[in-house]
Order: sequence, then C-alpha cells, then structure tokens
Amino acid sequence: MSPFDLVIKYWLALAAGIVAGILPRGEFPARRRVALGLITALTVLSVQWLWPVEGAAAEATADEWPHLLNVLIGMPILGAVGVLFIPRQMLSLVRGFTLVVLGVGFVVSLALLTVPMTPGWHFQFIKDWIPSLGIRWHVAVDGISLWLILLTTFIGPIAAYASFGSIKTQVKELCFCLLLLQGAMLGAFVALDLFLFFVFWELMLVPMYVMIGIWGGAEKIKAALKLFIYTMTGSMLMLAAMVYLAWTHQRLTGVWSFDYLALSQVVLSRPAQMMCFWAFSIAFFIKVPMWPVHTWLPDAHVQAPTGGSIILAAVMLKIGTYAYLRFSMGLFPGPASSLAANLAGVAILGGIIYGALVAWKQADVKRLVAYSSVAHLGFVMLGLFGVTPTGIQGAVLQMVNHGISTGALFLLVGVIYDRRHTRLISEFGGIAKVMPIYTALFVLVTFSSIGVPGTNGFVGEFMIIMGTFTSERLGTFAGIHTIGASAGVILAAVYMLSAVQRVFFGPLTHPKNKGLSDISPREMVAIAPLVLMIFVLGMFPSIFLDRMKDSVAMAYDQFKTVSGQAILFADEQQAKLLPADTFSPAFLKGAPGVKEEGEPEAPPEAGDEGVQGAAPTRRDGVLADRGGDR
Amino acid sequence: MNLDPFLAASPLLVVALGGCLLMVAEAFSKHGREENDSRSAGPSGDLALGTAITLITGAIFSAGIWFVGPDKLEGSRALEPYLILDRFSLFFSFVLCVGGALSALLAGGYLPEHKLDRGEFYPLLIFSTLGAMMLAAAGDLLSLFLGLETMSLGVYALAGFRRASPRSTEAALKYFLLGSFAAAILLYGGALIYGATGHTDLAGIRAAITSTAATEGAANPAVLLIGVALVIVGLAFKVSAVPFHMWTPDAYEGAPTPATTFMAVAVKSAAFATLLRVLVEAFGDPALTSWASGWPPLLAFMALLTMTVANLIAGRQESVKRMLAYSSIAHAGYVLVGLVATIKVGGDAQASIMFYLLAYTASTVGAFGALILCGSRGAEAVSYEDLSGLGRRHPAAAMAFSFFLLSLAGTPPTAGFFSKFYIIKAALGAEHYVLVVVLVLNSVLSAYYYLRVLVFMYMREPAPGAPLARPMRSGYVTTALVLSAVLVLVLGVFPSTYLEIVAQAALASR
Repeated sequence: MSPFDLVIKYWLALAAGIVAGILPRGEFPARRRVALGLITALTVLSVQWLWPVEGAAAEATADEWPHLLNVLIGMPILGAVGVLFIPRQMLSLVRGFTLVVLGVGFVVSLALLTVPMTPGWHFQFIKDWIPSLGIRWHVAVDGISLWLILLTTFIGPIAAYASFGSIKTQVKELCFCLLLLQGAMLGAFVALDLFLFFVFWELMLVPMYVMIGIWGGAEKIKAALKLFIYTMTGSMLMLAAMVYLAWTHQRLTGVWSFDYLALSQVVLSRPAQMMCFWAFSIAFFIKVPMWPVHTWLPDAHVQAPTGGSIILAAVMLKIGTYAYLRFSMGLFPGPASSLAANLAGVAILGGIIYGALVAWKQADVKRLVAYSSVAHLGFVMLGLFGVTPTGIQGAVLQMVNHGISTGALFLLVGVIYDRRHTRLISEFGGIAKVMPIYTALFVLVTFSSIGVPGTNGFVGEFMIIMGTFTSERLGTFAGIHTIGASAGVILAAVYMLSAVQRVFFGPLTHPKNKGLSDISPREMVAIAPLVLMIFVLGMFPSIFLDRMKDSVAMAYDQFKTVSGQAILFADEQQAKLLPADTFSPAFLKGAPGVKEEGEPEAPPEAGDEGVQGAAPTRRDGVLADRGGDR
Repeated sequence: MNLDPFLAASPLLVVALGGCLLMVAEAFSKHGREENDSRSAGPSGDLALGTAITLITGAIFSAGIWFVGPDKLEGSRALEPYLILDRFSLFFSFVLCVGGALSALLAGGYLPEHKLDRGEFYPLLIFSTLGAMMLAAAGDLLSLFLGLETMSLGVYALAGFRRASPRSTEAALKYFLLGSFAAAILLYGGALIYGATGHTDLAGIRAAITSTAATEGAANPAVLLIGVALVIVGLAFKVSAVPFHMWTPDAYEGAPTPATTFMAVAVKSAAFATLLRVLVEAFGDPALTSWASGWPPLLAFMALLTMTVANLIAGRQESVKRMLAYSSIAHAGYVLVGLVATIKVGGDAQASIMFYLLAYTASTVGAFGALILCGSRGAEAVSYEDLSGLGRRHPAAAMAFSFFLLSLAGTPPTAGFFSKFYIIKAALGAEHYVLVVVLVLNSVLSAYYYLRVLVFMYMREPAPGAPLARPMRSGYVTTALVLSAVLVLVLGVFPSTYLEIVAQAALASR
C-alpha cells in the first residue's frame, strides 16, 4: 500500500489531527500542538477502526498473535518496574514514559479489533505456571472482555494525563501506581484461571490504596483503609471458595485445576453451591459496589485524587460486574438463577433508587457522582440478574458507558476542584457565565449520564430495562422490577439536573467564582476523547453490540443449560461433574482436559507426583460430599 | 572407615566446626578488648561475614546432600534414632541456616550502628542455629531436649545482649524463666510418655502405642495423653502459640533486632519441625489421635486462639517491633492450622507447613531487616510515629519495608500469599472449614496493622519537632534485604520447584 493510499484511507484522522493541532488559540508551544494533533488523530483512528470492515474479516481470522495479551499486561507492569529506575528529579521523563507506555498499550489493544469476535476465546495464551496444582497462565478475550479491555486501555492514559495536571508531589510513586494498576486491571479482565484472576484482583488493590492514601483529601487514610479492608474481606472469602471448588474438582477427576473452563463443569451440592456463590458474589458485590456493602465507595471517591477517581469509577468497579458475569454466573448458575429475583430487587431498591435518592441530597459534587455510580451500577447488575441476552448486552454496554461518562464527570469535577479547592454545590452558582465551554461540556456529560437519547447512556439503560421486562428468571416480578428501574431513570435526571442547575445557572453570587478561568487546553485534551466516545456509543451502539452478541449468546445458552442441570441436581448432597458435551466446544477450547494440537497426553500422576502425599482417588464422577456442614 | 555418617551429618558438623573456628578467631582478634568505640574497630564486619559464610556453607551442604539423596548414603541411618538425617531434616537445616545467615548479616549492620559491637554475638548465633538443626533432626526425646536447650541457651544470651538496656535484660530474664519452665514441662511430658510406653525414641513410642492398642485397647491412655499434652505445651512455648505467648512481645521487643529476627525465624521453624516430627512420627496414629481424642482438637483450638488473639492485639500496638512480634504469633497460628490438617491429608499439609515456614522466614527477615535499616543510632524506628513521612525522605527503605509487610499480609504475587494459599488448600482438603474461615478473616485483620506502617510511611507527614527515624547505611543489611526480597519474589511467582521440594521433604506418615 503506497503512502498515498494510506492518506486516502485515513484522511479523516489526518484531517482531525491537523485541525486539532492548529485550532487552539493564543500562546501554545509547538510541542504541545503536535502532541494534541497526534492524540486527536489517534482517537479518530481508533473510532474508525471500531467499524467492522467488510471482507477483511475472513483474512484476519487466522492471525491472532498469541502474545498480544501478555504484551498488554506485561508492558505496564514492566513499565512500573522501569519507572523505579528513573531518577525522581527527571519529572518530565517519568511522566512522559508513563504516558508513552499507557498510550502504546492503547494502540496495541486496538489490534484486538482486527479479529471478528466469533463465539469462544480469542488471543488465547496458555502456559503452565504451577503444574503440581494445575495453575496455569491462561489469558483470553471474548466479546465481553474485549470492551472492558479497550475501556481500560482507553481510560488509562486519560487518567494519567489528568493526574499529572493536579498532582505535583511524589510523581514517581504516582507513575508506579498507575502503571501497576493498569497491568493488574487488564490481567483481571483476561484471566481465565481463577488463581491468576485472584492474583490480579489483589494486586490491583495495593496501588489504588496507595493512590488514595498519598494524594487523597483530608480523610484519605480512613478512606484508603476502608477500601482495602472491605475489598480484602470479600476476596479472602472468595479465595477459600475458590480452593474448595478446585479441591472438589480434584476429588472428582483426580487432577488439580484452577481453570475457569474446567471448574465450570463442576456442580457442587446445594449447600456448598450456595456458600461458594455467596463467597464469590460478596467479593464482587463489594467491588461493584452493591447496597449494603457500598459505603466504602463514596469515601474512596471523595478522598481520591482526580486520576484515582477516574480509574476507580471507570474501570475498577467494572471488574466487580464483569467478574459477577464471568465467574459467579459461570461457575454457579444454579444459585445465580434461583436468587435472581431477590438480587434484582436489592439492585433496584438499594442501588438504583436508594443510590439516586442519596445522590440527590449530597452537598459535595464528587459524592453526588459517587452515589450516581452506585445507581448506575445497580442498572448493570440488574441487567445481569435478569439473565436475558438483551439484558446482558445492555449491561456490558452500560459498563462501558458508565466508564466513559462517569470518568468524564470525575474529570470535570477535578477541573473545578483544581480551581476552587472545594466541591460543595453551595459554593458555586452561575458559573456558566464565566466558564461557558466547561459548562457546555458538563451539561453534555450529564446528559450522557442520565441517558438522554443520542448519548451512550440511553442505549444501555434501555436495553437493560427491556431485558428485565422480558426476563424469565425474574418471573412475576419482572413488571415491578421494570417499573422500579424506570423510576430510577427519572430520579437520575432529577438529581443530576438539579445539581447542574445549582452549580452552573442562576446568579453568580460568590465573589471567588467571578475570576474562574475556563477549561484549559490540557484539560480539553483529556476530556475530548471521552466526549467523542459518548456520541460514538450513543449513535452507533450496534458496532459494539455486534462484536459482543455472539459471546453473550454463548454465555447465555450455557447459563441456561447449566443452571437447568444444577437445579435438577440440587437436592442431592453430592458434587457432580457435568459431561463436556454440555458446553459448546468453543467454550472448552484450552480447558485442561481438552487435548489439541499435539499436546502430550498428560497422565494424572504427572500433576500429583509433586505435592499430594496420597494418591488421587478417582471415583465414578460422583462422590459423597461432606461440604455442606460448615 | 566408612565416612558416610559424617557426610550425612555434614551440615551439622560444618556449622559446629565453623562456630568453633569463629570463636577462636574472635578470642584472638584484637577487637573488643580495646576501649575505643569507633565504628570501624568493631569485630562485627569480619565475624558477621564469617558467620554468614559458615551458615550458608551449612545450607549448601544440606542442599548438596539433598541432591545426592540422604537415603543413598549408607551410613545415614547410623545416628538414628538420636538424629534422623532424612530429607525432612535436610530441608529444615537449609531453612534454619538461611535464617541464621540472614540474621547474622543483619547483626553485621545493627551491632556496630548501636554500639553493641561485641564478638560473642556470632558464635552464640551459630551454636543456637546448630541446636535448632539438631532439634529439627531429633528422633528421640532425649536428643530433642538436648537440641532444644542448645538452641535456647544461645538465644537467652542473645536476647539480653544489650546489657545496658533494662528492657533487654528484662527480655532475657523473662524468656529464660519461661523458657526453662517450658523445657521442664517438656521434659516431664517426655518422662510420662516414657512411663507409658517404655521408649524415648519416636519410632519406639509409636510401635509401643500400636501394639498395646492392638492387644488390649489402650494401655494407659490417660498418662500418654497428658504426656503428649505436656510435650505440646513445651513446644508451644517455643512457637509462641496463644496462650503460651506471653513472653513473646516483651522478649522480641527487648532483644536487639537481629536476635529478635533469629528468634522469630529459626527458633520458631525448628520448634515447628519438632512438633511436626513428634506428632506425626510418634502420635500420628489415628487410633489414638482422632478428632474425638488426642492432639488435633487441642491444636485446632490453639490455632483459633492464636490467630485471633494475636491479630486483635497486634492492631492495638504502638511499637512497630511489638506489632511484628504479635504478627509472628499470628503466623504461628496459621502454621498450626496446617499442623491440624496433617492428621487427615498428611503429606500435603506437611508440605504446606514447610513451604509456609520457608516463605515466612524470608518475609520476616525482610521485615525486621527493613526495620533495622530504617533506624540509626539515636534515631531508631520504634513507634509508628517515627516512620512518618519515611516514604518521602527515604523511598528505598520505605519501599523495602512495604514489600515485606505486604508479603506478611499475604498479597500476591509474594511468597506470603502463596504460602497462605497453600495452607488454606491443605486445611480445606482436610475439611476444616471453620479453621479456614477464621484464617481468612484473620488475614484481613492482619492487613490492617501491616498497612498501618504504610500509612505512616507514605501518607502521614511527621509532626514538627517529633523524633524521626533516620535510616542507616549498611552493606550487610542491604545484602540481607536483597536476598530475602529475591526469595520472597521467587517463592511467590515461581513456586513450582519449591513445591516439589517440600513435597519430597514431607515425613512418611502412617
């Protein structure tokens, strides 16, 4: 392809880049202009790549570079180690290095889009890690995690860029945390080995803890500790349940494995199923967060620095919802199905409605946005609890939406906080007169957050509500649930718009607000990609839905089959292994038992010679379970 | 002459010989007798290095014989039942030597800095390590007692090494008195066991129990059970399990920090090794020791108590060293959970204990070492307040401290996490669900106080005029920290090899 062809193909990105480079008025150094142009071009390019290319699908299927995910996870983590070796005086180098690593990560992650997301796992990479326990480095994406990875790599550089604007102390530590966090979050989204998932899940916690603790507000230590203790309580219980599940698998098959694909074939006895479901789900509910374990979130958000808030809201909370979809529903479909109506009720009353009402009464803008997160994630969870293809698709889309719109909201709140060092709504009023561009952006993002048609929020919420209405799992309550959820949409408009009204409009009373400067080019650069994505998602949701619908359909079918099996089976006090043909072959690709591509036949002894003293006892697939008598 | 017995016992012999040589070297050196206190004149530098080399040699010999295979050496059984030189004791020799060597390196930095530079520290350390190695290898109640006393006498002296400090003296006295009581109780328990079975060697005791149980039910179970209980009490003192932990915080706090490290690492590991060997080899018989009777319920109760009490109290401490002391009690509780599981899952649980002790050794040496590194003479890091703002003032020291504390708290991908995971796995395999739940909740509790150090180092600024810890500079301490950091990371990220090793080291039970 000649350079000329390239220009023709990517004229849009090129033009956008040039315009963005020229546009800013006033004294603006050339270096900044080039950077601005590059960023804009890249953003437009990435949007361009989102569109499915006809004809290209067939040729691209073959080359899935297996190390792509390893590179995505490894680059930030190695980058974090690299930052430690840069002298702390060289501020711009530390910052530049971090941005480059995160930015390259985003570009690399765009390669995920070149592959059509057919059902099953893509970019799968498997390598033995601790063979004697069957623990493997098993990473892969499907249509669901694809969007969350892209969200993470997209938000990462923006959050870093935003943090550099406001955080001037201990920049080296900040960069270390940002990079480590990025690597851990990406790892959590792609890990298909429970042990590996747990490692990333916990690894994520420390940098976030440090970020809130060092650069946070007045109550930072309390908030950071609360975050850590809440999350850790959940995750330790999850660890125990995880080991129990692996142990049951070992008793049934004679082989240790922590692989998600292998463990989803295990159906525990009813009490054990319930216990393990709760142990996993409580960990995830804390992360989401769902009422009544949400109280760490407002504190964490209010105290966290802007960059930390963006990452926390945009990505970290999604790990809770994603993990519920992947692991709680995947491993324990029985309880997830039978408890659906109750959990959906909690999501609506405790999340959507209560969250909205509390948000309404907040005096602090950031706290308001934090509670709005509780409400929005209530929607996501509702979509998952309903378990309909539409609902799940809506939920996944809404995860991305929430990431973008709430990320943008926190960014904008950070802008005003940097100027006034307060976030109290009562301190403001009428600032639309002094900050017109900022106001326009804020109102736009608000619209996206409350789901005005044409913006991203609308599509997700609409699909979730539709999914809820048609859900079989919710049974007779579906109608009531739908009404409750719809009321939540109205409440969202009430609290967001009333806050916007009080902050931006009305008379400009406070003398300090009269001298506020409008949004700076730097802040503009950070917010622009998010605003662009709001419209792309809002107007062309199908490009997102198309890529996820096969994976969602597969997850849904599997959930239906397995939960049916599990319910049939529920009265027995025994654990059982489902036959492999219960699952679609695409799902089981890469599972430890499934041999392919000349993989040597591993006799069960090979895994056991190391650790187990006693020989594994293979029984007839069913054995007495004493697991319920905890 | 067949040299095989000597070869089999070579880790012990090397350490003993090295200790003698160092003692002579110390006596003939010019240091110490002179009045001058200047830092360069102290004997610590050479002696610390010599001690570390001796103990590392011991570790290398253990590893070497491991690879040859002790069962391939013909005379390796010549010293039985007094010393059993199997893979189990080789593994513990290795762990103890590594722990001792790292403690010696810490002392090489600590003693000169705090003007405690007297040469006798190092021979005492070596002979204590030797005692600990004997203890881990003992297969007879008599040699067990001998090893225990050899180990303890050295440690009593080490605890009181800061003669000028009343706290150190108090620590030594307390440790000595309670330790002696514990030893006496152990001896009494041994006597009762001998009375009930007519044997002092573990294999003989086991055989006697089995045969009497086969012929006439149980011979004299009450005497035997009391004997076992007393032996457990005696060893529980050494591992500082609640309710026999009272001496620990005071002794750990008063002793010079390298001695504390040694107590927390080597003494505890050796005591656990013995506990494991005695319980598995002599009393691992399900006829005597089922859940209805025998030691597992006792130990399970002790484990619950140890974890919970230690973690609750550790959260209330103001002194970092005392916090680490309570944390080491809590870790003993986690190991006890593994010990309870041995009765049901055998090798797996033993392997988990050994892996845990290795990981715990690395993390604890690191944590105490970082604490040493953070304080210099007159500006020691004692309370949390002293560490305020350290992350800004001395990022490297603070980062090292955080790393080891995160390992102790059990955060992946460190050794602390994987070892805890492995204990949980063993306990779940033995279906001790309550113990597992209490263990995981306790590790959440423990995160609180470990993180408190991070809070002070990174998130608090010192109050104006408050005394601050000023990190010292010492190549020895840094070396020890780097070695432990490598160990922590390797054990956490690539545990496979070590899992195989500990699996092989497990005692053949039942």
